[in-house]
Amino acid sequence: MMLRTLAQAIEDAGKSTHNGFRFIDEATDAEPFFTFSGIERATALFGGALQARGLQKGDRVALILPDNQDFVFAFLGAVRAGVVPVPIYPPAGLRKLDGYLESTLHIIEKSGAKLVVTDAEIKALLGTVQLRAAGLQSVLSVEVLRKSRAPLRPVTIGLEDTAFLQFTSGSTSQPKGVVVTHANIAHNVDAFMRLGLRIEDGKDSGVSWLPLYHDMGLIGFVIGPIYHRNTITFLPPFAFLKRPVRWLQTISRHRATISFGPNFAYALCCKRIKDSELAGLDLSSWRVAGCGAEPIRAANLEAFSEKFASVGFDPRALLPCYGMAEATLAVSFAEVNTGLHVDDVDAATLAAEGLAKAPSPGAPPGEITSIVSCGRSFAGHEVLVFAEEDASSGTPLPDRQVGELRVRGPSITSGYFNEPTLSREAFAGGWLRTGDLGYCVDGEVFVCGRSKELIILNGRNYYPQDLEWSAGMVEGVRKGNVVGFGTRKPFNDRERVVVCVETAVTDPAAREALKLEVQRAVRQATGLAIDDVVAVDIGVLPKTSSGKLRRGAARELYESGKLFIRASARSGSSVDTAKELAKSQLGYLRDAIFSDKKQ
Amino acid sequence: MGWTREAVLAEVRGIIEGHADAGACLDERTELVADLGIDSLGVMEVVAELEDRFGMRIGDAELRNVVSLGDVASAIVRRLDVDGRLDPTTSAEAS
Repeated sequence: MMLRTLAQAIEDAGKSTHNGFRFIDEATDAEPFFTFSGIERATALFGGALQARGLQKGDRVALILPDNQDFVFAFLGAVRAGVVPVPIYPPAGLRKLDGYLESTLHIIEKSGAKLVVTDAEIKALLGTVQLRAAGLQSVLSVEVLRKSRAPLRPVTIGLEDTAFLQFTSGSTSQPKGVVVTHANIAHNVDAFMRLGLRIEDGKDSGVSWLPLYHDMGLIGFVIGPIYHRNTITFLPPFAFLKRPVRWLQTISRHRATISFGPNFAYALCCKRIKDSELAGLDLSSWRVAGCGAEPIRAANLEAFSEKFASVGFDPRALLPCYGMAEATLAVSFAEVNTGLHVDDVDAATLAAEGLAKAPSPGAPPGEITSIVSCGRSFAGHEVLVFAEEDASSGTPLPDRQVGELRVRGPSITSGYFNEPTLSREAFAGGWLRTGDLGYCVDGEVFVCGRSKELIILNGRNYYPQDLEWSAGMVEGVRKGNVVGFGTRKPFNDRERVVVCVETAVTDPAAREALKLEVQRAVRQATGLAIDDVVAVDIGVLPKTSSGKLRRGAARELYESGKLFIRASARSGSSVDTAKELAKSQLGYLRDAIFSDKKQ
Repeated sequence: MGWTREAVLAEVRGIIEGHADAGACLDERTELVADLGIDSLGVMEVVAELEDRFGMRIGDAELRNVVSLGDVASAIVRRLDVDGRLDPTTSAEAS
């Protein structure tokens, strides 16, 4: 395999005058198409424009560009100039801007970006960010950049150079910028395009509504296809989210062979697409329907297969995959053209012992957990399971034993930009700690939980720190003594989001009001509706000996107290809740409080 | 006869009511996300229904900094005004 930098791949693709990118304009339904040859020229102008603004190799440029076409040209242009693009998600509608501005400011400062490129409208919304971010020289609207005719001056770009920074989305407290090199990209693209998708250069074509500031959209549908010169049609994310049928209509109209979405996208299609909208759809061209980026539920994908079988959807097209930004994008893919491979295991043994064993014959569905296989790791890469406390990755766990999934190989990035401690902590004995829980069977990867702390809802990652931070702002809540987590127990119907706060308020009515205020504050800051707020007395939440909150332990306490969840969620007495919690877990809590007092 | 702001507000309210908990109290200042707990996907459904009802395409840019029920109505009124579909007695600026 000859490794090429992304900059080289863009130049090489420029020889293609047939294939390229099509950008659907939501407002007008226009579908301007750019050949790779045209893209090569347009991106050279963007790269030249950045150089003309004084940016040099290695400098960072933040991109806040909601328009797919602008984003693709600016991103690739920066890469060709050796400038490191830092994609930042645009502000979401129907939400206050405060939290957005804070997180944007953080990313700009953390990345040390000299320039922000955005559109005129967002530029106005950003207001004072320019004055507040140290090192930021200017905020430029893309309209200005587009007018530049400065030629691209050649820059030597090597495989070990940084191609871009992928900031993990969602966390206002601490988004981290994954450092992705050209070598990481070249290895990963080869893995998922050639080995995973068995791509036919120039022949397969894709459709994507995925946001381009996220790794699946950016690497999967912009970067990978440039290396292999595949035509891609981009639909704005907003268009899909408003009317999911547009995703399938676009695949149908352009006879696309490849399209990906997170689990929720398939569920959304089942929920929102009416039978009357199926008329005229033909999904028979769709040979790979990839599913990744969040926990995969067999039931959702099976329902999708069933609903769309009548319009030509082939269930064998479903291709579950596993990956993360720290591994560039993809870690493992299921085998193409084989559909879902589901492992039914005994739910109780899985939860209690961390062992994925076959259910007893005739076990009712309620006692079975179905886990979807995400296939095997790509050649040259490895996935193994280790005990979480195995700090050197010394002893892999046996098949079917649940532990932390760890990966290594040439796609794995070195860590986070300007975060030496976090980068070091991301690895154990040379293996990337994914934070995901899973098991292997004959090399096949089964992801059964995810990072213990991350809350994933509707394809979005919510960091508990964000919920905790906004809940902590509520008057009456003991700041810093808030724990947020997601749980599927005990109802097991869907992910529930719980926030526990410590408070000195004892009056039942006042506590009830406090809970409502916490709910409101978190909604306002994150857009997330909390299912349950638990108010407890001061000192009740479990902490480590150094005073750090123990989210996992708090979640276990919550999950084990079935009675108290019902009491708080239904009858809403938070005082009773606190008492129940204290009573049922007295021994444990004594430990927690004791260690707290040692501080 | 075009749309009046009152008529727009009533329609917007009706659509949003359909996505809120039964008995939720709605007025112009009610915030969709913070007060009604409509999640990000629910918001998208609301937008699709607004498009159908008012016969327009609403882009994400038009919803930035739009937070309350009254904000939504104002955004729709602005669009109707641009399209010349407002009742002459209603002025977009006043909303």
